[in-house]
Amino acid sequence: MASAGSGDEKAAAAAMITLISSDNEKFEVTEATATLSQTIRHMIEDGCTDGGVPLPNVTSKILARVIEYCKKHATAAAGEEGSSSSFSDAAFLEVDRAFLEELEEFDDAFLEVDRATLFDLILAANYLDIKGLLNLTCQKVADSVKGKTPEQIREMYNIVNDLTPEEEAEIRRETQWAFE
Amino acid sequence: MEKSPEMPQDILRCIFATLEIPDLVRAGSVCSSWHAEYTSLCNTGNYRLQQTPCLLYTSESTDAREAGLYSLAENKAYTLILPDPPIRSRYIIGSSFGWIITADERSELHLLNPITCEQIALPSVTTIEQVKPIYDDEGSVCNYEYLWYTGEDVISDTPSVFPLSELRDFLFYKAFLSSDPSMGSYFVVLIHNPHSQLSFARAGDNNLTWLPPCSYYEDCLFKGGLLYASTTIGEIHTFNLDAPAVTQKVFLDKMKHIYFERIYIVQSTCGDLLQIWRSNAPSCGEEEGESDSDLELDFDRDSHVSCTTKINVHKVEPTSRKILEINSLNQNVLFIGHNQTICLHAEDYPQLKANHVYFTDDNYLYTTDFKNNRRDIGIFDLENNSSEEITTPQLWSNWPTPVWLTPNPRRLNFGTLCS
Repeated sequence: MASAGSGDEKAAAAAMITLISSDNEKFEVTEATATLSQTIRHMIEDGCTDGGVPLPNVTSKILARVIEYCKKHATAAAGEEGSSSSFSDAAFLEVDRAFLEELEEFDDAFLEVDRATLFDLILAANYLDIKGLLNLTCQKVADSVKGKTPEQIREMYNIVNDLTPEEEAEIRRETQWAFE
Repeated sequence: MEKSPEMPQDILRCIFATLEIPDLVRAGSVCSSWHAEYTSLCNTGNYRLQQTPCLLYTSESTDAREAGLYSLAENKAYTLILPDPPIRSRYIIGSSFGWIITADERSELHLLNPITCEQIALPSVTTIEQVKPIYDDEGSVCNYEYLWYTGEDVISDTPSVFPLSELRDFLFYKAFLSSDPSMGSYFVVLIHNPHSQLSFARAGDNNLTWLPPCSYYEDCLFKGGLLYASTTIGEIHTFNLDAPAVTQKVFLDKMKHIYFERIYIVQSTCGDLLQIWRSNAPSCGEEEGESDSDLELDFDRDSHVSCTTKINVHKVEPTSRKILEINSLNQNVLFIGHNQTICLHAEDYPQLKANHVYFTDDNYLYTTDFKNNRRDIGIFDLENNSSEEITTPQLWSNWPTPVWLTPNPRRLNFGTLCS
């Protein structure tokens, strides 16, 4: 069994991009990794990445996590492309399945972060326009509020209730059934 | 701990769109920005909401306006208070896009969204071709005259006279919507008696329009701007309700001879047209062996129970105009009954069982003749032809018949209605 997609990786390795976090830390990544972000992809297309890409909205702590996600998923995307030409080959399908499972495990482990980090990851994914990461993190928040009362959700995410008692009463009056 | 930064509205929308209605409502009262997003989701149509169907039912509660909503996603029952007339006094004849279609004690029809409690009165029952009002001395409608004919046949020359509340027992079978009324325009289509004919109305119409000549319709589906209607012998007819003169086209010819099964049609998640046959025949022994008179002999009305014993799924082949029985729905899940037939993909709805059919009772004779008997409701496994209960003990009253409802929080767009 040949390792799928090794050629693509080599080609992608040629172009490197420097990302600069809000606290001025520099991260060297391959173009394939960086372009999972639509924001950065557009910058590359416009030719304004010489001297590094400043990301004033993302801290080094969060950027490191985002890069970790992009590296894994860029490899996955390359792997998929490599094997798609021989999709009828059962061995490749097997490799694909194992790869997808590994990716799912990676995503699950990746989401094992505190609420504040999860919020920051969402904001970074939104700013950098990384669709996969945004869906993943939003789904995590959605899952976390399931079956919870508004009070529990506020506590979980440190949200201040700025609704007036009148507004709250009005909402309750209309939708009391969902609170029982 | 510090206060979390504000979540941008478009991200909140991304999160909210994946929540089931009860979670959505609760999340909508967390703070003002979350509430604003909830309100905006309820007032705009251009966002897809993914809701797992729930069972809507009534129970022996003190308040006749109460309806139960059993969430399959949470395995939890909620209690809704619905607007008058009391839901327990109505018949539920359809459920589409989160709206139920009901017949009240005057046999008049309403659309009702149980989540928003909004209601739309449909054209009067007296605008149905075979129904005429009978007035008393003071000029009020006191009875209905019901005429026994179809587009092809005069069944009887003598009309029947029904009290206002009894007509609905004889007249209505099913009802469907072409689209979500919250978004403005829609068609409502009725399957009504005698002999399960079609009539329809467009949003805002004052009359129901009869669609002769055929009869014995079982299920309807809207696809590509056309109404598809399947008959009890498996024919499928199409109609363009938007045309100035609506004509019937034959999409599929008769597929079977006996009027035994109930027929449903639905588009599968991969786009195929499916025709589903549901049978209540006893699973042991041949159904041909028993004549009606044998069944009548020793018949205990109170203990009579109708049970779904077999469900066959067929794929309609549009080119050869044939149907092909399929053994497995794979990841598809079906919802059948008085609701508009639904087909979902189990991967998108992790709480649902793939290759299963979620069914409620819509057997016309059984439901209207045996209102107090146990309803035929459950989850049918196509793999081994067995059913299981949705809940034990049973939460619902046997009448009105429970239906599947895909909850819809969208409010009516009054701008569209007024213009």
